[in-house]
Amino acid sequence: MTASAVRDFLKRDVTASGVRVQVMEAGHGHATVYLHGAGTMSGFGDLLPLARNRRLIIPIHPGFGASEDDPRIDSVLDYAIHYAGLFSQLGLIGPIDLIGHSLGGWIASLFTIFYGHRVRRLALACPAGLRVPEHPTTDLFMIPPERLLSHLISNPETLKRFTSVGMTNDMRIARYRETTSLARVMWDRNYEPKLGRWLEGLTTPTLVMWGEQDRVMPAQQAEHWARHLAHAQIETFPGAGHLLFAETPSAVECLEAFLNTEHLEGSRTSEV
Amino acid sequence: MSILDRLEFYLMHFMPYPDIVPGRPQGQWVDIPNTHFDPKKGHKLYQEYFDELALGDELGFDGLVVNEHHSTFYSLMPSCTVAAAALVARTRRARICVFGTPIGLTYPHRLAEEYAMLDVMSGGRLECAFPLGTGMEYWVNPVNPSYARERFREAMDILMQAWTQPGPTRYDGRFYQYKVLNPFPLPYQKPHPRIYVVGTGTEDTIQFAAEKGFGYSQVFTPIAQQLKSFANYREAMTRHGHQLDSGSVIISAMPYVAETEEQAMSEGREHILFYFKNLLRTTAAVNSPPGYMPVDRLRKRLEMTNGQEPEITWEALNTVYRTVLGTPDHVAERIAFWCEEAQSSKIVLHLHIGDMPHWKAVKNITLFAQEVIPRLRRTRSPSLGVAS
Repeated sequence: MTASAVRDFLKRDVTASGVRVQVMEAGHGHATVYLHGAGTMSGFGDLLPLARNRRLIIPIHPGFGASEDDPRIDSVLDYAIHYAGLFSQLGLIGPIDLIGHSLGGWIASLFTIFYGHRVRRLALACPAGLRVPEHPTTDLFMIPPERLLSHLISNPETLKRFTSVGMTNDMRIARYRETTSLARVMWDRNYEPKLGRWLEGLTTPTLVMWGEQDRVMPAQQAEHWARHLAHAQIETFPGAGHLLFAETPSAVECLEAFLNTEHLEGSRTSEV
Repeated sequence: MSILDRLEFYLMHFMPYPDIVPGRPQGQWVDIPNTHFDPKKGHKLYQEYFDELALGDELGFDGLVVNEHHSTFYSLMPSCTVAAAALVARTRRARICVFGTPIGLTYPHRLAEEYAMLDVMSGGRLECAFPLGTGMEYWVNPVNPSYARERFREAMDILMQAWTQPGPTRYDGRFYQYKVLNPFPLPYQKPHPRIYVVGTGTEDTIQFAAEKGFGYSQVFTPIAQQLKSFANYREAMTRHGHQLDSGSVIISAMPYVAETEEQAMSEGREHILFYFKNLLRTTAAVNSPPGYMPVDRLRKRLEMTNGQEPEITWEALNTVYRTVLGTPDHVAERIAFWCEEAQSSKIVLHLHIGDMPHWKAVKNITLFAQEVIPRLRRTRSPSLGVAS
């Protein structure tokens, strides 16, 4: 497949185990799924360069964006189970490349723990889910709404891009719905106490990426992920905050390089 | 028979802690530093407040109402049942109304037991209203607000099972599991004390109350909205085949009674304003934690306010809340009007309001009992509006 610029995603609705979700897709090549974080309002345009030589698939979680609610979901593990069904529905039979950002990183980790044979490479961008008492994840529910963006974003230019958009009532309602969906799985605890233990069995080559100025999940957490993952490579990005891909194009470049590398320690031999 | 022939007067107390902390747009809730609490002041306030309620019993109010809020200067009652127990011991006649502990914030069997204790101790004087609990309570209790409504319903099921099915029974729910549900004691009143659901107009709460045949009460929402909710509730009660009576819905009012209208204004107005501006007030972010508010209700609220916190003015208050200041005649006339308008014979009266000093509360309670209630009891006679 020759590299060519991809300008936008194709969006379609897919129903998996009775729940209609939106799936965004761009490019052709190896199936690469991106699991988003706890908000969809920042959009996914920053990831489009990934679609130059691969098939980039961004499913929207139930309870977020244009996807329906799934009242059966009340834990992050339920999202991983949802994706097992959705990926089958999408015909993703061979091992995929799986990327997860923040909450999506937590889901991607659980998916890989339980369905390791379905993942070729795992990339985690400032993933949630690990409990690091010395460098705890910020409880976002306790951040007043007017201060939220400055917690998520470090780069002043990126911040300008987001704050220049005025909030309409529809946006406020959409935001409240997504925060509600997040609260259903993360109000009590923003980590899974046993995740570290569960990660220890993984053999999937894993990239852990972190913005050094992340105010939501401190970058020191990266070391703790590495401690639990046998085959992890860590990359950190100076100046970048929690919305890593919106803050620095180098994050996408790094991700691309990792996914394109032929042989990695722990790599599975099966290819699609 | 008119509604006015069956009026029942309930005296309610919020027991506020009026030494508010200024400069807090989010109000006196949730993260209000509790280091501002002075226990000596608290002791004095409890004495005055319980005296005021006991006076209500002596002067003939039909019921005394207490409720529950957490981590707030709005209320010194984080435990409704403790306040009710004190009233049971100090009173002989009035019904004791717990309006009430948010059942999802405690263990439902425990609330069934505590309420049963109050009913037995008082010889069957208990009435119960069950609130979901304000959004503020969910910041300070270890309960996920996004399941508040589901948990509330399950907890109510457990309470009803505990009170109406011979124990021991078993309960296997999503939030609670009882191998042996067998509360002891059981209520004095059979099958159980009268039950209300307290709402703010959310449609599914109205439907829940009507489906179960409970009474319905709505607090601190504009009158027009309450009347609409009452109509929905009555329609749904009829649809579910439940009997309605004039006490099926409860309304509330905030009167201040004095010798002249001018005096009522000069004595009462500042405390009512204080209550709305300083005690009740908070922000949308605080009163609607994630998942607490159904999305369709949030849409309605945003359409009304456009995301701005509404300005509280005296004029606005008096068109949307049942506040009245004046002579006994004037107050009686307004109360008669409100009861007829809502077709409710049961009215909850807030007679200690905001930062009102004890003497004014005593005066207001006394004048209401001695001058307003008798006028309302005679409203069928032509004396109303001519007396005094």
